[in-house]
Amino acid sequence: MKWTKQDVSVYVTSKEYIDTAFIPLVPFTLNQSDDELTSLAFQKEVIEVLCRQIEQEFAGRSMLFPTYVYGQSSDRESEVTRLNAFSKQIQEKPFKYVFFVTFDSHWKKDEGKLEGNLIWMPVMKDGDLQSNETQKVIMDQVQQMKELVRLYWS
Amino acid sequence: MSEDKKSQVSRRQFLNYTLTGVGGFMAAGLLAPMIRFAVDPALQPETSGDFVSTGKEVDSFTNEPTRVDFTVEQQDAWYNSKVTKTAWVYKQEDGSILALSPKCTHLGCIVGWNDNEDHPNMFYCPCHDGLYEKNGKNIPGTPPTAPLSVYDVQVKDGILYLGKEIPRKEA
Repeated sequence: MKWTKQDVSVYVTSKEYIDTAFIPLVPFTLNQSDDELTSLAFQKEVIEVLCRQIEQEFAGRSMLFPTYVYGQSSDRESEVTRLNAFSKQIQEKPFKYVFFVTFDSHWKKDEGKLEGNLIWMPVMKDGDLQSNETQKVIMDQVQQMKELVRLYWS
Repeated sequence: MSEDKKSQVSRRQFLNYTLTGVGGFMAAGLLAPMIRFAVDPALQPETSGDFVSTGKEVDSFTNEPTRVDFTVEQQDAWYNSKVTKTAWVYKQEDGSILALSPKCTHLGCIVGWNDNEDHPNMFYCPCHDGLYEKNGKNIPGTPPTAPLSVYDVQVKDGILYLGKEIPRKEA
């Protein structure tokens, strides 16, 4: 289920079937070199494509929440607290499985403190979303995520 | 009739003009659709209808369902986007191609073919354990209440083209 009117209308009638949440974590800043800015924007696009694909796979059991954006240089501790508050609310709904999806390796350090499962993907610094190569890489990552999620479910 | 004959039209002339005018209108009315009929096909935009090429040759399909991914342009009031769609395609006993929609008719997850050891040679939905037979028919007792939808199939130059998904009712 996507966070759209159409899907959420279905979600509210079938809440008991939908117990998995995907939350993309995307950093934002303008205080970096020009190359870094382009790369960050590209990374956001890739994460969102990735999450859209995994949502398609598990549409009937998962909810893709709106992208969680945070300042790249903001205090880690406060971000963990903020994200956890968000995640706790989701788990009460109840979403049994909460997956954070990100390219930002900084979250790895605080993985233990997070209320949910962190899926850190190796970052793609640059590329062309339309090219066959990039598409293949993304589909491979979707496959891996699929298997991981099914492991948690079983 | 008035005295001034030069600027006045005679009855005969008036009738002539009127008849010519009306005749002209009728002729135009008859010709216009004919001209449009001839000219329109050249003015239509190039589309092959709603069918999209999968890039796969029809002969490459066996009796075993294979997953085919293809991109479709989707247009709504705001966005014109390219969307990837998937189909499970196989050649049936009578030689015809069956392309099934992989969307579980329960809540929309993507079903897999023969990927669950406990349910071989069946479509299995990992979300809520939905099951379907090879022809897409749903197994009673599992969450789905309708068979898998079927794609409209077209073959052009040996390549498989897929159109709209057609939902199927419970048999």
